This record gives sequence, C-alpha cells and structure tokens, in this order.
Amino acid sequence: MNFNSSFALPFSVGVMVLFVVITYKYVRWLYRLPDGDKRQIGRNLFSRQTWKAVWECVTESLLHRRIFRVNPVLGYMHMSLAFGWFLLIATGFVETVAYMGWTPVPLRGHVFFKYYSREAVHTEMWQMVFTNVMDALLLFVLSGVALAWTKRVYSKMLGMRRTTRHVWGDRVALTALWCIFPARLLAESTTSAIWHNGGFLTGWVGSLLADAMSPETLVAMESVVWWVYSFALGIFFCAMPFSRYMHIFTEVPLIFLRRWGIKSDDRPKSFDHFQLEACSRCGICIDPCQLQRDAGINTVQGVYFLRDRRYNMLSAEVADNCLMCGRCSERCPVGVDINSLRLNSRYTFHNSPSFRRYDYLRGVDTSQGEGKVGYFAGCMTLLSPRILQAMERIFEAADEQVWWADRNGGVCCGRPLKLTGEVDAAREMMRHNTQLFQKYEITTLVTSCPICLKVFREDYNLQDIEVLHHSEYIQRLLAEGRLKVTPTAEAYTYHDPCELGRGCGIYDEPRAVVKSVATLLEPSETRNMALCCGSSIANTAIPDGAQLKIARSLGQSLEATGADGVVTACPLCKKAVRRGTTLPVYDLAEIVADNLTTRH
Amino acid sequence: MKVTIIGGGVAGIQTALALKGLGHDPVIIEKEDTLGGKLRGWHRLFPVMTPARDVLEPMLKQLRDQQIEVMASTEVQAIESDGVVTSRGKVESRATVVCSGFDLFDATLKEEYGYGIYDNVITSADLEQMMNNGKIALADGTQPHRIAFLHCVGSRDEKVQQRHCSKVCCVTGVKQAIEMRRWFPHSEIYNFYMDIRMFGPGYEEMYRSAQQEHGIQFIRGRISEAAPVKGGKVQIKAEDTLVGRPLKMTVDMLVLLIGMTAGCSNSRWTECTGLSQSDSHFMRPLDMFEGNVRSELPNVFYAGTVTSPKTIGESLNEANAAAMRVAAYLETL
Repeated sequence: MNFNSSFALPFSVGVMVLFVVITYKYVRWLYRLPDGDKRQIGRNLFSRQTWKAVWECVTESLLHRRIFRVNPVLGYMHMSLAFGWFLLIATGFVETVAYMGWTPVPLRGHVFFKYYSREAVHTEMWQMVFTNVMDALLLFVLSGVALAWTKRVYSKMLGMRRTTRHVWGDRVALTALWCIFPARLLAESTTSAIWHNGGFLTGWVGSLLADAMSPETLVAMESVVWWVYSFALGIFFCAMPFSRYMHIFTEVPLIFLRRWGIKSDDRPKSFDHFQLEACSRCGICIDPCQLQRDAGINTVQGVYFLRDRRYNMLSAEVADNCLMCGRCSERCPVGVDINSLRLNSRYTFHNSPSFRRYDYLRGVDTSQGEGKVGYFAGCMTLLSPRILQAMERIFEAADEQVWWADRNGGVCCGRPLKLTGEVDAAREMMRHNTQLFQKYEITTLVTSCPICLKVFREDYNLQDIEVLHHSEYIQRLLAEGRLKVTPTAEAYTYHDPCELGRGCGIYDEPRAVVKSVATLLEPSETRNMALCCGSSIANTAIPDGAQLKIARSLGQSLEATGADGVVTACPLCKKAVRRGTTLPVYDLAEIVADNLTTRH
Repeated sequence: MKVTIIGGGVAGIQTALALKGLGHDPVIIEKEDTLGGKLRGWHRLFPVMTPARDVLEPMLKQLRDQQIEVMASTEVQAIESDGVVTSRGKVESRATVVCSGFDLFDATLKEEYGYGIYDNVITSADLEQMMNNGKIALADGTQPHRIAFLHCVGSRDEKVQQRHCSKVCCVTGVKQAIEMRRWFPHSEIYNFYMDIRMFGPGYEEMYRSAQQEHGIQFIRGRISEAAPVKGGKVQIKAEDTLVGRPLKMTVDMLVLLIGMTAGCSNSRWTECTGLSQSDSHFMRPLDMFEGNVRSELPNVFYAGTVTSPKTIGESLNEANAAAMRVAAYLETL
C-alpha cells in the first residue's frame, strides 16, 4: 500500500505539535515535582495503587462512570466521544494489522486507512466485519457529537442549567472537534461512493452521494473532503494542548499521581499543573454552586477559577469569592481537588510572613481544669455560649475530668488564617496550640467546632492525642452508656456543616445522636451534597446580602422537611442558619444536654 | 363614618381620639387584652423623666369618656378594601389606620451576649419592668456595683439583619444610666457605644449631665462577647476604640439596649394588600414628606412605629396627622 498523499500533511503536523508540546509539559512538570513527591512516586510505583490507577483510567477517562452517576445523558455524551474515539483508533489499528500484517505503517496509514485501502479487495467476511464495526463506532461517536451540539444550544435538555463560557482557544479546538467526525463520515462516504468499500453507514451515505453526483464530481470532492478531515484533525491537535482538551491526556497522569499519593498543598507546587490541565471545563461544577444559584455570582466557580489560573489571569477576587463548601468537587468528574488549588492561590496572593506579628502569642495560657480529655471550644463556640454550657453539662453527666483549653479566650486554631492564604501566620497559631496540648499531656482533644476539627486533623501533628468532634465524642458516650438521654416527641432535621461532612467525612455520628433524642428528617440535599449555610469563613469577598440569600435558601430546604427544629453541629452554621429560617436552631450538644436523663 | 384602627398602642389611641374629635367613628382593634402597647412596660420617658403612666392614663381615660369602641384580644388577619378581617369576623369601615407598631429585638439572637443564658444579662425593657416593680437587683437579690450598658443591640447590625438605627436606644441608654445612678449612688456605670445620637430637644443636655453630673463613663466600642465568671458576674470583652486597645471588664449587670425591629405583622399587611415594606421591613409610607402617614392605597394610613422607629412624641404627632388625612379622605367619598 502506498501511504504517500499530501492531504495527510495537516494531520501529521498536528500530531507532531501535540507530541512535542505534551512531552515538554509533562517532563517539565514531573521534573519540577518536589523531592518528597518524587520519593513518594518511587515507593508506590510497584504497588497495587498502580493497577488501581489503570482500572480508574478505564472507568473514568474512557467510560466516564462518575458523570454517568450524576447525569446519564451527559455521561453518554462524554463516553461516546472518549470511549468511541478510543475504540475507533484501536479497532482501526487492528484492522490495519489484519490487512498488512506486522509491517511498519505510518500513523497516517492507520488513521486514513479507508483512503489508502480503497484499491484493495474487500470481499472477505472479516473485512466486511471490520468495515461495519468501524462504521458502527463512527455512528457511536457521531451520536455524542450531536448531543454536544444540542447541549451548546439547549443545555437544559442534558440536565445542565448552565454550561461553561469558553475562552478563544477552546472555541477553535471545539469547532475543529465538532468537524472531525462529520468530515470523516463525508470523506469515507465519498471514497465509498467511488470504490464501494463502505459499511452500512458510509456505504449508505456513499450511495446517496453517488446518486446525486456525477463520477467526476465525486473524484474532485474526494480530494477535497480528505483534506478537510485532515485539517480538522490537524487544527484540533495543534489547539489541544492549549485548550481544555488537554484534559484528554492529562487525566491519565493525574489518576496515576493521585493514586501514588501526590496531593496539592497549601502552597503551589508542580503537581498543581496536572490538576489544572485535567479540568475539561465541562461545567458540571457550576450548577451545584450556591453562589451561582442563590446569589447570582457567575465568575468564580471551579471551572472559571481553574481556567483563570491556568492562563495566568486569576484575580484575587475570583480566588477569594468561594465558600469552599466543596459541593463542586463532589460532582467533579475528574476529581480535581479545587479547594486545595484555591487555597494555594490565596497563598500566592495573601501570604505575608511577618513572624514578629505574633510575638504576643508566646506564653499565652488561659487554660483551666485538669484531665486527660481536653476541650477546645474555638472562637465561634465562645460566641455561642449555649453550646459551651451544654458541653459543660455533658462532661459533668459523663463524669469526665476536663482540661478547658480556651474557655477564657485562647489562641485561634489557625484555620481562618489558612483559609485566607496566610499559611505562615496560621502555622504560628498551630505551633502555639500544639505546644499547649502537649504541655498538659491530654490524650483526647474534643472540639465542637468543625473548622477547628479539620485543622487539628489535617495540619496539626498531635501524635498521641486523639482528636474528636463533639458529635463523635457524644455518640461514643451514648454508646458506652456513660450518657443517657430521654427521647422526645420532637422531629428535627439535621444540617451537615461543610467542614464536618465533606470536610472530615463525619455524617453518621451526629445523625445517631439526633436519633437518640428525636426523630430525624432529611432535607432533599443532604450528606455529601448538603447545602452550605452561606457564612463560611472561607469566603472573605462575599457581601452580607449574598450570605443571607444562601441562608434563606437553605432555610427553605430545611423547613420543607416539616421538622420542628434544625439541629447542626457547628457554631458558625448555627448562627447562619438562624438567619435563614424561623425554625429554632440547636447545636447537637444542646439537644443532648436538654434531654439528659437525670440519675437517681 | 367608621374607621378601623389596627393596634391600641399610643399611636392607635391618639388616632382614635383625634378622629373622634373630628366627628368620626373609630374602632380600635388590639390583639392584647389591654390597651397601651409597649408603653405599658415603660417606667419613665426621656428626656424629662415623665412617668409613662402620666402619659398613658389620661389618654385611656379620654378613650373611655368618649366611649370609643375597642375590640381587645382581637387579631387583624387581613386588610381589605371595605374593612378588616379579624379573628372575630369582619369589621367594615371606610378607612383603616395601621398602628401596629414595632417588635423589640430578640436579644437571644446575639447569643454572644448571653441573654437568657447568664442570669445578670438583661435588656433595657427588662430594666424598665424592674423599675416598674420597684426593685432592681441581681439574680441573687443583691445590689449591682458595676453596671454596663451596651448600645445598638439589634440596631445597625448587618449580622442580625438590622441595618437601621433604632433611634431611641441611645437616649434610653443615657436615661437608664442616670436612673441607675439614682438607684445605686455608689455604683460604677459604663455605657459602651459606637455612636451616640442625641437628636431630640434636651437629649444632648441629658447626655452631658450624665457625664458631668452623674459620673457615667462612656466608652466608644461595641462589646464583642460576654462570659460568665464566678459569683454570677459577667466578663465582657470590648475594644476601646478611642484608645485603640482591647479591654476586659467584669461587671455585675449587663444591660442590652435592644433596638426596634419591624413588626412581625408587617409581612401580613404586605401579603394581603400589596403595600410595600422598606429594606428594614418597616412599612413604606407613600413618601417621606407630605405623604408620610399615607400608604400606597387611598384608604389605608399609617401612624407610629409601623413605618420606622420613633419616639412617643413623634408617634403622637403622626397619630394626629393620620387622623387629619383620614378625615380629608372621608370628605371625598
């Protein structure tokens, strides 16, 4: 077979550009990984994680299982494009080998095989099977392209209220991508009209063409349409590494690196590039965002943040205006850790190492009491004295000896500063509190604030101290029989605080505690998709009015359960939810303390 | 001609008296079982310490003398074009004056101050009640030595959705501080404020005398939180913004000067009539000047704190103005 034809040139150039750019990017990013990350990769390279990563690449990069779970139509669209195209390439390769045996064939030979093989004999049964399978795959991909067109025009049909607004480079790549498969259909059909080598699809379209045109026109057209097809591929490949389609390849190394334990940190690092460029800008993160749906803020969602950061046009405004509730990441089909990236962007904007600022921390110790169990109220609990009082009664009822770390005012846990990007300042607080906890040799640290809990678990190195949220602690006391409560006839709904639920994965313990005193009613969006209260300390840019709108919308969803009251497990949520509902709002500790069975 | 008056506080009573004087037939519909509204809970009124009774009693007497109809323990459910619907049935009338007033800010919403949690944190309304009862004491029955007043609780505070100034609490804080000085001559009294707004006649003079003659300390800075300490005392944390330093102080009694919030019935008026509310949820008068007691509907009028925080005197003025407007409207029928 002769693989020399000029129309393949745009395709070949595109492939070269793609290969060079992607290789340059990946080598650079991997080379710049911190040594710790490199060692981590070395340790895990030959482990089960690698096999898990291979499997994840199949289920996610090709089959898009996560999107299927959220939205089957959208899942089909992505799968038909990714998996369909992959099968076209794979089957095309096998087909070429079947025809030619194991002889070296240039890449263009595989891709434009229909053209190069037009003069060959196509009478064998297996040849017909290949032709028809290839046509079926092409139809599969085309159905995805049709859905993609529909989605652009009318996104609601695919279950998305909003889709992404794209940058210029994306539009070029998108247009080229949309042309590739229709062009391929036309090219193969034209060849089939002349040479009769088509399957059920290209053969049928070919016969239609043959009926409509003279043989001379068909020959002229054939030379044009293969050029168009090749150009579409070439343009797409050239635009790809600079557009959102970089995600097609980047998702693969991301999956492997993630399986090997590499994470984004509170400071930017090279791994972040893999996350940024693995974002396909599908826009699935837009709909869950409450800033968008309740407050009409449309420029800050995960997809826009990642896009702005990737193209170096990120503003502090976009980085800061986010509740970091994590609802977007729950839905992200690529599993991009948007919050960590946002945090380290904030670090870039706001971190100002000025260590003398916190000199006054030295020696601050207002703790009181003695006990192996330490209680850290946190600033928001100190501003919600009912919770503090309830905890006091619970400790007393359980006969617990408690060391009170901060009831007379202590040093902040550091998370609020960390969330604004002031990582160095936050470290000062963490160092101080760690020393304090160690000095009093506590074995358990209880906090009623999920914000504190998250930073204790993630950033503190507390070694032998077990850190518990009060929901876990109370649940344990109830289970051990150290605490007894009298059930009431009330029906409560439970609001999952972001930092506790999505943040620390604690969903069941608070529910068990609520159920011990009342009937539990679940709102429609709950657990890992629970709504944010709107007053998150992670957002320093949002105006109060927008916070209120979010709280009211949450209030409505909680009221819709028909509950007599709302129970939550975060002092900040408690304050925020109260702004959005007329129902009474309690902390978990309050409903327990108010219904303690008095001992006789 | 018959006019319904919703609410039997000072504004409602005065509107009724004025309308009666103009030859009309007012009926007051009051949801409580007695008339007088919030004024009944007050001891003395600023700026000249007039006993609240001395204002209310003569008005109530006139009401009785003139045999004005009062429907007590009756709640208005809806305002309609030809009267109002109440919990006891329909009351027909040619015009309605809404005098449904305000609500006191619920201090438990500022949980950080510990109202309802710590014994010796009380509101300005509680203090008036204590004075009416003739005994001001701590929870354990003893006398307070150090007393702090906190201004703007539930006023000018976005976090509790009260952006507006409640207007009367500043001067109430000064008045109550002076009264406390009289009850407890040897006590220490502190007022924590962010601005002191002495807008009325005699108010500024009262503020000056509070400082110069009564030795009351004014500290510019809001209290951020209160915490209990041994012996039922309350420790407050604040920032003295004039000195630029944080401060901690242990007091025997913390008095929260609670603000005025829009009456909870306002949303009902809006729903049934299409009348509108301002951003702070008070009813919006037709305009701020010539139409300040008129509503967007020709036969519905406003008087008193239903449209914004006001003093007793201002509410009485509005009652008279509303009566004049109603009379003029009835002429046109």
